[in-house]
Amino acid sequence: MTTSVDRQVRDTETRPAVRRDPGWTVVAAQESRDLWLGGRGLVLVFAVSVLLSVVTYMAATNQVLNFLEQREAVNLTLQIAVAVGVLVTLVVCADGISGERERGTLESLLLTPVPRRAIVVGKAAAALSLWFAVFVVSIPYVWVLGRGVSLVASALLLGLLVGTLLAAALAAIGLLISAVSGSNKASLSVSLFLLLALFAPTQLPGGPKGWFGEVLLRVNPVASALHYIGAVLVNGHGWTRDLSYLASPLAAVVIAGGALVLAGPRIVRLTGGVSGE
Amino acid sequence: MRPVTLEAKQLTKRYGARTAVDGLSFTARQGDVVGLLGPNGAGKTTTIRLLTTVLTPSAGEFSVAGVPGSRPAEIRRRVGVLPESAGYPGNQTGREYLRYHARLFGLPRPDAERVAMRLLAEMGLDGRAGSRIASYSRGMRQRLGIARALVNDPAVVFLDEPTLGLDPAGQRQVLGIVRDIAQRGGATVVLSTHTLPEVEEVCSSVLILDRGKVVVAGSVGDVTAAAAARRSARLRVPVGRVGGAGEALAGVPGLRVDAVDDDAGVLRVSFDADPDGRRSGAADLNDALRAVLRADVPVLSFEVEGARLSDAFLTMTREGVR
Repeated sequence: MTTSVDRQVRDTETRPAVRRDPGWTVVAAQESRDLWLGGRGLVLVFAVSVLLSVVTYMAATNQVLNFLEQREAVNLTLQIAVAVGVLVTLVVCADGISGERERGTLESLLLTPVPRRAIVVGKAAAALSLWFAVFVVSIPYVWVLGRGVSLVASALLLGLLVGTLLAAALAAIGLLISAVSGSNKASLSVSLFLLLALFAPTQLPGGPKGWFGEVLLRVNPVASALHYIGAVLVNGHGWTRDLSYLASPLAAVVIAGGALVLAGPRIVRLTGGVSGE
Repeated sequence: MRPVTLEAKQLTKRYGARTAVDGLSFTARQGDVVGLLGPNGAGKTTTIRLLTTVLTPSAGEFSVAGVPGSRPAEIRRRVGVLPESAGYPGNQTGREYLRYHARLFGLPRPDAERVAMRLLAEMGLDGRAGSRIASYSRGMRQRLGIARALVNDPAVVFLDEPTLGLDPAGQRQVLGIVRDIAQRGGATVVLSTHTLPEVEEVCSSVLILDRGKVVVAGSVGDVTAAAAARRSARLRVPVGRVGGAGEALAGVPGLRVDAVDDDAGVLRVSFDADPDGRRSGAADLNDALRAVLRADVPVLSFEVEGARLSDAFLTMTREGVR
């Protein structure tokens, strides 16, 4: 064990009371390592790339047969990339707290001086790296489909902005669900159900029309964001014309992110559920 | 006098109508090894979680290394904890795990690396520093957990069942580490365990909890005496002299002959300890021996079987187990 000399050395080692790196960056760095070097992130991105390959092939084929206009093909692929990127981000976040709780690793994290708020922010940041990876993977597919119509750059920029908004909102929602869920299974189920409920309206052919349909579209951050992408890419609207459709994704980021930061210290705890400790 | 490093006053934790910890008060000083005992559900783990700020008390106050419980982040800087049934990320290496936790305590990367390697060496894990934790044995994981509890050079170390599930060699190794943390590292150690011989071996004081309340606190000797447990002894005399020994013992006040084995020359006797806890029973023992010798019966052996911490534990926690 240690001697008094060792202790002096140890005192020197542990001297800095001031943290060199903010706690959330340390958490984010380790979570990212676990996600990518642990293989989970790579497997998910590989699956996404297979899906995008299939979608791109089908879209390109339909394009050759004149069944799908080129702009629509780009829009379809980009929307799928955004949807799947957001899905995997949500899944990783839904496991963030409840998974650690079940694996028995949360307590040692809570025993460090890093604030609970910083723990959730670090986890959200690491999960967002998955969205960015999915976006990078989608670039060649969008490029292949968008050649010749000067659409690639604007489509990618649009996808990056809108996708990041949605990923940030759903990452925060996933972590909130994970923190209050009694089990990891419950957290994943509720998160996936929520995502399904948000995505379903975007896939329905008819859907509600009139003012009611418009309200439903605008309050749903996912449907609203994807509608905005379609409006710019397919209908050729200017970026500012339908900007109001980004209000609900933006509100989702602010509300969910704010709730996570404000409630984090109270809801990130050893036991799940909504009751007190 | 060594400084007080841990102090709890009327610390209470309630979950709705259930009280997990009820008015807990005690102090511990630097270098003390405090054994936290109690049957399942007595409140040991809750007590540790309160003192390490993982849980918020419903009432009462506490301080760790002079820092009041109202400053939880500062307390967490000064404590090291091996939680009960701690989990480990199987895909990380031992070195990576300790380095990460050292960084969470604010150490820059190079210092965190140095601390990780030093602790791995101290715990005898340096040979497996680069192996994934998933490949570690249970004993290795426990030592890794203790190393993790020491990354911040804590003033108080809480170990919740550190020897649970370990083989005797692993238990011995962990107890040696506990002793070193207190004696050479100068930290206060709070050791929660069900293994009473461990407490007798390494602890300087004991805190027995039952249903969230402290039933007794003090040194191992004091607690054993205060338990006033009924003690027994096994007396062996030459075969054929059992009757004489029995007659002699029957005249000793407070002593009872429970069983006699004429063939083996063995008498089993028991006596009540002093109910006020001031006498350990030594006087009764001497009286018994004197009576047998006065009767001119040779004593071949006399073994006291009670007066251990386990007797005190069972007496003070009613049934002892639930």
